Amino acid sequence: MLNIRDWSLAKREAAAGYFFILPWIIGFTLLTLGPMLASLYFSFTDYNIVEAPRWIGLNNYTRLFNDELFWQSLAVTLRFAVLALPSGLVLGFVLALLLNQDVPGVKIWRTIFFLPSVLSGVAVTLLWLMLFNPELGVVNKLLEQIGIKGPGWLQDPDWAVPSLAIMALWGVGQNMIVYLAGLQGVPADLYDAAKVDGANRTQQFRYVTIPMMTPVLFYNLVLGLIGTFSYFTQVYVATGGSGGPARSTLFYNLYLYQNAFRYNDMGYASAMAWVLFVIVLTLTLLVFRSSSLWVYYEGELRGRR
Amino acid sequence: MTSQTINRPIAETDTAYPSRGRLGLRGEALFSKALTTLILAAGSVLILIPLAYMISLSLRDKTQIRQGSLDIIPMMHVEVEVNGKDEPLYNVTVEGQAQQMALLKKAPGGKGIFVDPANPEQTVELILADQSPVQAVEIHPENYPEALTAVPFDRYFFNTITVTFVGMAGMLFSCSLVAYGFSRFRAPGMNILFLLLLSTIMLPRQVTLIPIYILFQNLGWVNTLLPLIVPQFFANAYDVFLLRQFFMTIPLELDDAAKLDGASPLQILWYIIIPMARPALVTVAIFHFLYAWNDFYEPLIFLHSRENWTMAVGLQTFNALYSVNTHLIMAASVVMIVPPIILFFLSQRIFMQGVVITRMAEK
Amino acid sequence: MMSRKIILFSVLVLALLLVGTVGAQDKVKVTIFVGLGTGTDPDQITQQEALAARFNESHDSIEIEFLIVPHDEAATRLLAQLSGGNAPQLVGPNGISTIAQFFDAWADVTPFIEAESFDTSDYYAPSLELNKYPTKNTGLPLGLFPSFMIYNVDMFDAAGLDYPPTDYSDTTWTMDEVRNRALLMTLDSNGNDATSADFDPDDVVQWGFSDAWTDTRGLLTRWGAPGIGRPTSEDFVTATANSEEWVYGMQWYSDGMWVDRFIPNAEQVSSMETIGGSPLESGMLAMFYTHTWYLGEAILDLPFEVQVGAAPFNQKGERIARIHADNFTIPEAAEHKEEAWEVMKWLTAPEQIVDVCLIYGCVPARISVADAFGEAFAAKFPTLDLEVIYESINYLDAPNHESWVPEWGRVSDALNNAGSLVTSGTNTDAKAVLDAANAEVQAILDEYWASQGS
Repeated sequence: MLNIRDWSLAKREAAAGYFFILPWIIGFTLLTLGPMLASLYFSFTDYNIVEAPRWIGLNNYTRLFNDELFWQSLAVTLRFAVLALPSGLVLGFVLALLLNQDVPGVKIWRTIFFLPSVLSGVAVTLLWLMLFNPELGVVNKLLEQIGIKGPGWLQDPDWAVPSLAIMALWGVGQNMIVYLAGLQGVPADLYDAAKVDGANRTQQFRYVTIPMMTPVLFYNLVLGLIGTFSYFTQVYVATGGSGGPARSTLFYNLYLYQNAFRYNDMGYASAMAWVLFVIVLTLTLLVFRSSSLWVYYEGELRGRR
Repeated sequence: MTSQTINRPIAETDTAYPSRGRLGLRGEALFSKALTTLILAAGSVLILIPLAYMISLSLRDKTQIRQGSLDIIPMMHVEVEVNGKDEPLYNVTVEGQAQQMALLKKAPGGKGIFVDPANPEQTVELILADQSPVQAVEIHPENYPEALTAVPFDRYFFNTITVTFVGMAGMLFSCSLVAYGFSRFRAPGMNILFLLLLSTIMLPRQVTLIPIYILFQNLGWVNTLLPLIVPQFFANAYDVFLLRQFFMTIPLELDDAAKLDGASPLQILWYIIIPMARPALVTVAIFHFLYAWNDFYEPLIFLHSRENWTMAVGLQTFNALYSVNTHLIMAASVVMIVPPIILFFLSQRIFMQGVVITRMAEK
Repeated sequence: MMSRKIILFSVLVLALLLVGTVGAQDKVKVTIFVGLGTGTDPDQITQQEALAARFNESHDSIEIEFLIVPHDEAATRLLAQLSGGNAPQLVGPNGISTIAQFFDAWADVTPFIEAESFDTSDYYAPSLELNKYPTKNTGLPLGLFPSFMIYNVDMFDAAGLDYPPTDYSDTTWTMDEVRNRALLMTLDSNGNDATSADFDPDDVVQWGFSDAWTDTRGLLTRWGAPGIGRPTSEDFVTATANSEEWVYGMQWYSDGMWVDRFIPNAEQVSSMETIGGSPLESGMLAMFYTHTWYLGEAILDLPFEVQVGAAPFNQKGERIARIHADNFTIPEAAEHKEEAWEVMKWLTAPEQIVDVCLIYGCVPARISVADAFGEAFAAKFPTLDLEVIYESINYLDAPNHESWVPEWGRVSDALNNAGSLVTSGTNTDAKAVLDAANAEVQAILDEYWASQGS
C-alpha cells in the first residue's frame, strides 16, 4: 500500500513527466491529430479530392480484400522487407564494430561509409539506374570480369526488388551511425569490471557489448520496420511511378500513391493507409512486447519504486 | 553547488576491447588492426565506385554521355575537320600500315569510308569493326558553374540554411525535453502516449498531406518557410525515440545522487542526461541536418514561388519530363554532398570524444 | 508657408501611394500551374518568365505568373492546391491524357465561347474535337504533336536502303515494309544483319525499329481496331482490349523483339536511354517512331544525320498516325475563371501562339500561323521536312489513344502492365496477355458502372 507521501511523490513525478512531453502533446493536438483523423474519415468515403467526400461506410475496406493488386503490393513489400531489413541491421552493426576499432584513419573510414546516406533523391536513383544498366552498367561489367553474366537488374521482374534492396544496403551508413553512437555510450568501467571477473574478449562482447547495444538495436529494428513499410521515393523515381517491369516493384506505398494521386481515389488510398497502419502498429507492438525479453536498459524504471 | 567533472576516456585509443597489459597481445592486436583495415578498404571500394561514377558523369557534356562510354575517366571521340565538317578520327590500318584517318560515312556491309584529313580527295573503304576510334580525355568542369547558375542557388542556399538550422535548434530543444519525459518519469498512460507518438510516423504521409495542406493554407503558412520550421519545435517520433533509447541507458543512480543534492528535474536533464547523451544528440542533429538538407517532397508541396525553394527542390528542375540533364543533376548533387560531409567529419570530434559526465558534488 | 507645402507634399505622396496600391490590387493575378507535362526545363522556365513579362506589360487588369512544379510531384501539388482552396487559375500545357486523368477537375469553357461567339474557325478542326467531351469542352487548342518516323540516315546509307517515304500516297510503306528494312539494319557485333544465317540474336548491337516511347494504347492505336485508340466500346461499358487488331499488333511487336530481334526489348531500350537519352540518339537504332515533342536541341548536334518520314500503313491498308495535343485548362475550383479565360485566349491568339509553341515544342493548332511557324521551325531545324510532319495531322487517331475512359489511370496501368509483360519477355504471347488485360479492364469498368448506379 502506498501512503500519502508516496502518492504526492508519484503525482509530482507524473506531473513532471507530462510537463516534459508537453511540446509534443501540443504539436500532436494542433498539427498532427486533425490530419490523421481526416484521413481516417476519408477511408470511409468516396473521395476524388476535387469533389466533396461521400460516405460509403466500409466499402473501401471490403474492396481492398478482393483487390489482387493490394495483395500483390503487400507481397512485394514483404519480399523487400525480408531482403533489406535483417541484412541492413546486421551489416550496420558489423560496420559499426569495425569502425569502433582503433585503426589508422578511422575518421576517414567512417566518413566514407557514411557518404551514401548523405546522398538522396533523384541523383542516387539515376546513378543506380546507370550502374545497374543491363548491357553497359558497371555492375554487369564487373560481373563479366569474373565470368558471370549479370541479370537485367531493375529491368528484370525477378531481379527488380533485389536491386532495390542492394540500393538500400548501400545506404546502410545511417544504421551504422546509430550503432556507433551506441558503442560510444558503453561505459569503459563495464569492460574493466568484466575483465576483473576474468571474461575473455568473446565473453566481453557477449555479456557487455551485446546487452548494452540492445536499446539501439531495438531502435533500428522498429524504425527499420516502419521505414521498410513506407518505402516509396526510390522506387517512384526508378520506375517513373509505374511499379514496373510488369508490376514487380509495385510497393504498397506506390500503389497507395497511385490510388491517391493518379486514380483520384483518395478514399481507397486512405483505407490502404489505415490497413498499413494497423499492420505496422501490430508488428511494432509485438517487438515492444518482446523487448522486455531481450532489450536491456541500464536506466530502466520498471520495477523501481 | 560546485560541479566536478569526471572524464571517462572512451576515446579512439581506447577500443571496445581493451587488451593492454598482457604479453603477446601486441601482435594479436596488430593483426586484428590490419585485418579490420583490409575489410574496411574492401568495403570502401564498393561504397566509392558509385560515387566515382557520379563525379565522372558530372564532368561530361551531353555528347559524351551520349557516346555511351561508361569509362570512369570521361573520354571523348576526337574529331577533325574535313571539308568544313567535323568527322570522327580513327586509328586505321591501310595495307598493313597504321595511320589516323577520319570516318566520312558508313557504307553497306559494315564498312566505313575513310579519308586522310591532310588529303581529303582520296577515300578508302575499310571494315569498320577492325578500326578503333581515337579517344582523348575530356572533362567539363564548367558543368558546375552552369548547374549552380541555372537556378538561383544562392537564394536557395539561404533558404536551406534557414530551414535546416532553425529547425535543428527547435528539434534539439523539443526532442530532448520530450525524450527526457518519456524515459525518466512514471505517469499513467505514458506508454500509451509513447506508442501514440510512434504511430504518427506509421501512417503514410500521402494520405495526410491534403488535410495538412488545408490546415497550413488556413494558417496562412503556405508559400512561407513556416511549414518546414514550426513543426520542428513540437518534437518528432524519430528523434525522440532515438534520444529516449540513449537516455534509458544512463544509470538511474546518477539521477538519484543529484536528487539527494536537491537538483530539480531540469537540472538533472541539463547537467547529467545531456552531457552523457552527447553522441546521441550529435546523431539526431546530423540526421536532422540530412533530412532538412535533402527533403524535397514537403518543400515542393508547400513552397509555391520559386524564390522560396530550397536547394533540393531546385535540383528537381533538372529532371524535367522530356529532358533529363544528367550531367547537371550530378554536378549539383556533388556540390550538395560537400557541406554535410564536412559537417559529419567535424562532428566526429564531439561524437567520438567520449562521454563527459558532470556530476554535482556535495556541497 | 513651409508647413503647408509639407502637408501638400505629404498628401500628394499619400495619394500616389494609395493610387499605387489600389492600382496593384485591381490587377487580378492569374497563376498558371506548369509541371504536369512539359515546361519545367530551366530554359523553358526563363522563356515562360519572358512571356509573363510581355503579358503583364500589356495588361492593366490582369497579371500572370507561371507556377513551376517539377514533374514528379506535380500531381500531388495540384490536387493539394485544388482541395486547399488555393487553386491555380490555369493549368497547362496539359496533354489529352493529363486532362483525362484529372477529368473531374476541369471547368467547361463552352459558356465562355458561346457568350462572346468566340471564333474557332482558325483552329484545325480535329484539334477542336480532341478537347471536347459529352459533358464539357476543357479548353482552346494550343498545339499539336503529330507523329512521324524519324530515322538515322547514315544507317540507311550503310545498308543501301531507300529512306522512309515523305510521299503520303506511297502505299508500299507498310508496317511489313518497316519490318523488312528494319531486319536489314539490325546487326550483331560481327556486322551480320538479322536476315543472315550467321546472325547472332544474343549479340545485337544495332536495331532496326523502335516505338518504345509510348504506352500500350499508343502502341496499338495504329492497327485499326474498331475503337482505334480506345480500349472500350463506345459506351465505355465493354472492354475491347483483346480485339483482333490489337492482338495482331501486339504480336507484331512481340515477334519483332523476341523472334526477329529487330525491335529492342525493355532491357535494351534502357541501355540505349542510359547512353543516349533516347533510343535514336544512342546511335544504335535506325528508325524511331515519335512525336514533335521529341524534337529538341539534342537532335541538332547528333554525330549522324536524321530525317523524318511518313507514318506507315497498317495491315488493313489504313494509315493511323497517333497524335498528342496540348492545351491550358481552367480548374473548376479556380477563383477567377473570367480572367483565366482571357489569359487562355491570349496564349492561344495568333500573335502569341507561335512563341508559346516554340517553348513547348508543339505545332500551333491555328491554321493562320502555319507560315510563321514554318519559318521559325526551319530556322531551328533547317534540315527537317516540316511538310511531312504537318501532313500527319490528317491521319490522326480518333478516338485518340489518350482519350478519356472511366477510371482512366487504372485502365491505362492495366494495359501498360500487359505491354510490360511483353517487352520484359515475361510473356510473349500477345493473345494471352491481352485477354488477361481485357478481363482486368472489364472488371474496372464493371466496378465503375456499379458505383455510378448506386
